[in-house]
Amino acid sequence: MPINVEWMQYDVVVVGSGGAGSHAAHAAAEAGARVLMVSKDPIGCSDTKISEGIATVRGSGADDDTEETLSENLRLAGGDLPVSAITDAFAADSKEAYDTYRRQGLRPDIDTERQAPKSLPLPMGGHTRRRSVGHRNSGVAFGHANWNTVVQSEQIDYLEDAWFLDLVTEETPFRVAGGLIYHAALGRLIAVKAPSVVIASGGLSTLYFPKTDTMRGNTGDSYAIAARAGVELVDMEQVQFLPFCLASPPSYEGLLVGEPVTASYLGVLRDKNGKVILDGVFLRTRAECSSAIMRAVEDGRGTPNGGAYLDMTANKRRPRSGPYFMKFLASALPSAYKLARQAMSKAAADCEEPWEVRPSAHYMMGGIRADAYGAAVGGDGDGSTSSGLPGLFAAGQAMGGVFGANRLGSTSLTEGAVFGRRAGEAAAARARKTSIDKTTTEAVFSPFIRETRSRFGQKGEVAAAALKLTLQKAAWSNIGPVRTSERIAEMEKILSSLESQLDQVSIPDCADWNQAFIEFEELRNLLMSARAVCSASREREGSLGGHVRLDGKQISAFSQPYSTVVSCNSAGGWQVRRVDRDRTPIRQILAFKIQDAKRKAAVKWLRVLPKGMQDRALEKKYLEIMGNDGVIERVMPGGDDAAIGEATRL
Amino acid sequence: MKVEIVTKRAGEEAVVEYEYRMRTEDEKPMVLDVLLQAQATVMPDLAFRYGCRARNCGVCTVDINGRPRIACRARIKDGDRVSAMATLPVLSDLVVRRDGVARQLRGRLSTAGQANDLNIEAPEDYHMLTACIECYACLHECPMHARNLEEAWPLKRPPEEQAGPTAGYAHGNPFSLLKLQRLRIDPLTPDAGVEAALDNAVALGLDTCIDCKGCKCGIGIDLMGKVVRPLLDSVNDRADAST
Ligand SMILES: Cc1cc2nc3c(=O)[nH]c(=O)nc-3n(C[C@H](O)[C@H](O)[C@H](O)COP(=O)(O)OP(=O)(O)OC[C@H]3O[C@@H](n4cnc5c(N)ncnc54)[C@H](O)[C@@H]3O)c2cc1C
Ligand code: SF4
Ligand code: SF4
Ligand code: FES
Repeated sequence: MPINVEWMQYDVVVVGSGGAGSHAAHAAAEAGARVLMVSKDPIGCSDTKISEGIATVRGSGADDDTEETLSENLRLAGGDLPVSAITDAFAADSKEAYDTYRRQGLRPDIDTERQAPKSLPLPMGGHTRRRSVGHRNSGVAFGHANWNTVVQSEQIDYLEDAWFLDLVTEETPFRVAGGLIYHAALGRLIAVKAPSVVIASGGLSTLYFPKTDTMRGNTGDSYAIAARAGVELVDMEQVQFLPFCLASPPSYEGLLVGEPVTASYLGVLRDKNGKVILDGVFLRTRAECSSAIMRAVEDGRGTPNGGAYLDMTANKRRPRSGPYFMKFLASALPSAYKLARQAMSKAAADCEEPWEVRPSAHYMMGGIRADAYGAAVGGDGDGSTSSGLPGLFAAGQAMGGVFGANRLGSTSLTEGAVFGRRAGEAAAARARKTSIDKTTTEAVFSPFIRETRSRFGQKGEVAAAALKLTLQKAAWSNIGPVRTSERIAEMEKILSSLESQLDQVSIPDCADWNQAFIEFEELRNLLMSARAVCSASREREGSLGGHVRLDGKQISAFSQPYSTVVSCNSAGGWQVRRVDRDRTPIRQILAFKIQDAKRKAAVKWLRVLPKGMQDRALEKKYLEIMGNDGVIERVMPGGDDAAIGEATRL
Repeated sequence: MKVEIVTKRAGEEAVVEYEYRMRTEDEKPMVLDVLLQAQATVMPDLAFRYGCRARNCGVCTVDINGRPRIACRARIKDGDRVSAMATLPVLSDLVVRRDGVARQLRGRLSTAGQANDLNIEAPEDYHMLTACIECYACLHECPMHARNLEEAWPLKRPPEEQAGPTAGYAHGNPFSLLKLQRLRIDPLTPDAGVEAALDNAVALGLDTCIDCKGCKCGIGIDLMGKVVRPLLDSVNDRADAST
């Protein structure tokens, strides 16, 4: 019996119940729209909930933190790839968007003097001002706020255990007509008509599983759904990898244990023979560390689990400063250090032995090409909505153009709130003006329903879960933290072979919670996302930010910046092109670089001092950062990448 | 290592004996490792929930030998039996329907008013309760929640009928009480909201707690000390005030 289809109609459909989705749904409902939220995980379960819980709030720690300062900081860090209208929007809304979290129960510590949420003591993760606010219970505190928003509101209907499969569009005029959903718990398809759809369904890091620290649901659904509807994706080569994640034991594989900054003054990276492959680790960017590790692995000098040794023993051994280092390590990134203690030996956790580390996929910095309201755009330059897909909005990790080649630390939680709100409001505004024609729309749904129905009961010998494993392995070696043109080509070959097996995937004919169908759909999305990453990576022949090419040079900060734009035609072919971005005036870039060089020089001499003097100097340094109570508040997980002017601070 | 996995498809239960292949000699695998390996090898359609692998997202809870455990951080031993949480209706294999718990709080979580000054710190207890990852381990042996199962809560209601609070479970559980108590101690909740939260706790069956031996949290939150007793005390105080 074919799976049943139920029809629904809403003003706005929001896909995803993380930070971006919750804020979008809330904003759309406040604007008077009837909202349906669709979430494949239980409500609120998302990267937002499992994050470190550090958010960027402009002005929380410095009086001179203007909108211009923050916007420029984002753009320079992102190698001039971010769209300025978008970074301006981020800077303009960060405070207000954060306050919507507070209205739903997020309670930070308060700086009573400034009458503002208390920011961490140093500007960090590549920020030029103090503006990162940490929270007790990390991301879980954000999870509660999002959950309350959705569950409480009578204007938001929600479905969990429901997979949004595809956007349904009308041709003339080209616009969104709604979408098709598989509700696994109810065992039926839902065809929902809606003039506006907000995609807030997260990233693609599961492409690299288990070498990732993110939620399992990051199967690239956002990008694949948009691409299948003919929408453009931007900067898709820019996957952010965190260098210091666990390579073993297996249950902990991929999870984050440290950042360049936590390696501290004397931390170095070593290959399997103990030879130093990178020194001054704490001054390096995430991408520099990742590529040093991966180059050693390439060269046959990797550790047993395909990584390198992060050796922090020298920090520990100094009699005076050693104890301070241990305090610093434990308090800088408390959850990461807790994981390190659970996963590794006592000697390693006490930094008497080096840690085996390996990079992990963390965040997709590219995404659906959009304007400052999350509306899908196409065309040249920063794009225009008239050549995008009217009715489609994106927010959160799904959206591109915010971070370019590098995401500053603690910006993603804020991003979700800022662009979730903006997209929700814009989606509601569009719904007020747009009516969905009853008769024509049912017809445009038919091919989608037919195609999806035919998958239930598909005969074959292959398991989607098995193909997924092949894909993940190949993605790591070919389009992972290091790439070459040959490997990208190899990846494309593997993708073709996997794609050709989709029709042979065995799917039982059962409507209720059909795990094989779920695996099949997620595999399809992972494959499409991998195509997008391949096309963009091929186009960018040099290294920039999260994209490291072993066969290409570092792209100069002074050259004309461009973004890659990829799209897929109805026959399944991929196109890629470049759109130029504005370059920050050279004078500003130079100022940024000089500042950075100065900072590096200011600590370099430490490493060449005689041991006794070095120890005393380090003791003084630790006391400076940690303050009187000897405890530094948390440092944001990295955020410092290979973009210009960026480096880790200590 | 041999592990029993209880599967359930179309109402049919089956016990599958799975032989876990150790990945290192001294591996001490978690429950989730077994499920992932089973899915990658001989049980490709095995249905189970997981997300973060780090005890943060709260969705991977299953029963091990009849007691709820967070699969990504619970070690498994030879001969253990993995089954779906007994406290919620099974959708497939190890996946349970969680929706009824959340929906019972719909309309019951009035939030801080817009006029409030947001720059106020919350008390320590507020943060303690915020640590809840919504794993539902605390539903185990909760007599209040057990009443729902006796009443055979409709597993499949059409979504349009699910919008109202009536589509959630009628009777409460420790998690819902925690959510309500958290609202009560939020300094930004207006007085009327504090009272309403208590009314809601009573409406969900707080009286069941009076004679109960108490609940246990899967991650160590002091549910009796920080949730149940304060709620019961407030009901008493209210009764005292009105006499
Ligand atoms: C370990 C870790 C630590 C982090 N720490 C920080 C930090 O301290 N500060 C910071 O700013 N950022 C941090 N980040 C990054 C940040 O958490 C995420 O980038 C951000 O939360 C993404 O929010 P989102 O709303 O876009 O997506 P998510 O929060 O991931 O939500 C995606 C939602 O979409 C749903 N979904 C996906 N596909 C579908 C589909 N097909 N149909 C229906 N629903 C679907 C999922 O179920 C989920 O509800 C961290 C990330 C990780 C993994
Ligand atoms: S004390 Fe109350 S909430 Fe806890 S188990 Fe007993 S009845 Fe349930
Ligand atoms: S109170 Fe504890 S056991 Fe209950 S849902 Fe929350 S974390 Fe889980
Ligand atoms: S997988 Fe997230 S808590 Fe277990």
